[in-house]
Amino acid sequence: MFTPGSKLFLGLTGFVLAVSVIYVALVDNSIGGAVALLSVATGTALLAGLTLFNRDGEVAVGDVAAPAGAEPLTSSMWPLVATVGFVGVVAGLLTHPIVFFLGLIALLASGTEWLIQSWSEGASSDKTYNASIRGRMLHPLEFPVLALVGLGVIIVAFSRVMLAVSRDAGAIIFIVAGAAVLFVGSIFALKPSLKKTLVVGICVASAVGVAASGIAAASNGLRADLVEAKEEQHFSHKECGEEVSEHFDHLAEGTISLRSNAVATIELRDGKLTARELGVAKVTQTITFPRSNSATIIFRNKDEKEARLTAFLGTKAVQDGVVEEVLDCTQMIGKDHEQALTFKIAKSSRASDKPYTLTVPGLEGQSIEIMVP
Amino acid sequence: MSTKIRRIVAGVSGLAATAFLAGCAKDAPQDTWQPKGSNAKIIDDLQQPVFAIAGVIGVIVTCAVVYCIIKFRDRGQAMPEQTHGKPALEIGMTILPALILAGVGVFTFRTVFDLSKTSDTQMVVNVTGQQWWWEYDYPAQPELGITQPIITSGQRIIPVGTKVLLRETSRDVIHSYWIPALNGKRDAVPGRVHTLRLDADEPGIYAGQCTEFCGLSHANMRMETVALSKEDFAAWVANQLTNAKSPAEKTLAKEGEGVFLNQCVRCHQVNGLKKVDGTPAIAAPDENVWAGAAPNLTHLMSRNTFAGAAFDLLSKKCRADVWGASSETVGKKYLAGVGEECLNQTDLRRWLRNAPAMKPMYADPAKLTSTNGKYRGMPNLGLTEDDIDKLVAYLSTLK
Ligand code: HEC
Ligand SMILES: [Cu+2]
Repeated sequence: MFTPGSKLFLGLTGFVLAVSVIYVALVDNSIGGAVALLSVATGTALLAGLTLFNRDGEVAVGDVAAPAGAEPLTSSMWPLVATVGFVGVVAGLLTHPIVFFLGLIALLASGTEWLIQSWSEGASSDKTYNASIRGRMLHPLEFPVLALVGLGVIIVAFSRVMLAVSRDAGAIIFIVAGAAVLFVGSIFALKPSLKKTLVVGICVASAVGVAASGIAAASNGLRADLVEAKEEQHFSHKECGEEVSEHFDHLAEGTISLRSNAVATIELRDGKLTARELGVAKVTQTITFPRSNSATIIFRNKDEKEARLTAFLGTKAVQDGVVEEVLDCTQMIGKDHEQALTFKIAKSSRASDKPYTLTVPGLEGQSIEIMVP
Repeated sequence: MSTKIRRIVAGVSGLAATAFLAGCAKDAPQDTWQPKGSNAKIIDDLQQPVFAIAGVIGVIVTCAVVYCIIKFRDRGQAMPEQTHGKPALEIGMTILPALILAGVGVFTFRTVFDLSKTSDTQMVVNVTGQQWWWEYDYPAQPELGITQPIITSGQRIIPVGTKVLLRETSRDVIHSYWIPALNGKRDAVPGRVHTLRLDADEPGIYAGQCTEFCGLSHANMRMETVALSKEDFAAWVANQLTNAKSPAEKTLAKEGEGVFLNQCVRCHQVNGLKKVDGTPAIAAPDENVWAGAAPNLTHLMSRNTFAGAAFDLLSKKCRADVWGASSETVGKKYLAGVGEECLNQTDLRRWLRNAPAMKPMYADPAKLTSTNGKYRGMPNLGLTEDDIDKLVAYLSTLK
């Protein structure tokens, strides 16, 4: 009475139910995961019911069965992958959720592939036709996933390499790798008669090469100046005075696209600081900044010397009786570069004894006052 | 005429008459067809002809449809001969609308660019939206007599015939600023600053409302722009630049100041107000209100509406007097502010008694987990009637 299709779905339902029980018992007893697994179980149970009800949708059994003496079916790797996935799921329950989810993904993917492959192989006695309908079902799924994985590997591997080698070496590697891709690609295009094994060989070798260099670079760590910059806490702008750090990105955000949203643009030219407010044509030494609302200003350096803009945003009590100045600042930037600085001043100017200001450390006598209404 | 046709004609003309009469509403302060400023006129110059063209086409199409419905209705006649395609007609019917739209497009683009012009701005006002009221601050502009930033809410005051640039932003969600008589609408988006230019030809009070759904009290988020003559504007500025004076000792208002220091100053700034120890009282709405702001009340009685311009500070009679005033007298009447005889005691007391009951706001202390305990709007402070008497006396001094 149970058709093959319904057996499959009943089995799946039972399996997912078992997994959800184990999952809730051992991994995570919050509601989210259980709901997801139980929804899968509901779905497969529904499909089981449907296939039972319409007897697998077969009009007359025998019509589509492969005739006797047909070629034996190809062997499939999916049972193997599914087993690995299953082991992963079980092992993940005992070790780490990541292993569990990787196993689950392998299990689901191999299940899908396996299901569709066996369905397509039973569709007719014509192998090429069977392969084509398999492709029609699975390619829209396989191609994007494979492309995503491939791109991911390339991006991760390349970025690791770039962070590990020096700046100049990075540039050279990029140029060489790009030229190589162009060269090999042109050869493939110009010589379609090239042996297939050779093409596959080259592709596989370069893929392995990219992944291997990525792994090697990652285990090698960041290049020295990045490590040092991190140690100097440069990335978090901990100090807003004159620059003492050597290793920082001198061109960070060299150009920015926040222009239309900046309440003011501050320019350093010939050792003088000037400000221009959004929508106002003239140059001033005082800007009005919104109260209690994040807003952005742009700092533009037109002088040879590197400079940063430091904002004095009032004081705050850190402990009883101890008051600290609140500072914020841009990155150090060179000539003709710009930085955006987004900050928030909660209280109006009347709350601060000292006016809020924008200054350039090391540049005496130049300051833009920030008025907060 | 058959009875059927007569019925249709009656129906159509009934609808038309209703629409026509609805269009005649006299008290329609937010009518987009009555521009009162140059940018609104630029828009009007576009929408008049476009509306005419669209109207003519609409009438033609409607008539054709009605004609076909009546003429070719099923009376049991034989199926007519079926044809397919008529290239000349099809091409014509594609090209004609394309031409009309291209024509409209050219003028629309011109209008868009005209409206975005800011190079000849004469004055700047920052407009900040938050749930559910607008704050206006005027950066220092000495040439206009504004030597220190001015801050107010609900009603925005501008000098007549002056090209004012609004720099709009928001402290919480997206709002949209719209005074139909003066210009189109522009969204106020958190983290961004959008500019909108407008000016008013004549002194008067122009109403509008937030036009981007922004939560519970969106419908109560209104705003007004008050255009004053240059002299009246200067008088308004001079008044706004002053600090509030402490009421005389041993008065009800002085007691009200005490209540205010206890209850209100943690959200509302009153410039010049001093704590009992003589240091300036600085409001901290950033610690109490989700948006980080509450209206500055230094000159509360200089505006004639409150709480997002949703309620009147003026009694019915006084309101009619100010709002109905001619363009020559409206300035003086507006500048008179809210005197004792004109104060709308009922609504102000109702507000102080239980603000969220008057204007829906998220102000239930038990339900503030998603905002880290901060209110959206003004909470019910559980004041006694005694306190309210004192507060009203104090607030009345904030001219
Ligand atoms: C927790 C903060 C908070 C406290 C405390 C508070 N308010 Fe408010 N108040 C607000 C907010 C926010 C608004 C704006 C509400 C709106 O319009 O939607 C407001 C609006 C007002 C308005 C209308 C102002 C205008 O220009 O539109 C008045 C008047 C007012 N409050 C008076 C008081 C008084 C008097 C007290 C003390 C008894 C007080 N408030 C305490 C937050 C507060
Ligand atoms: Cu709004």
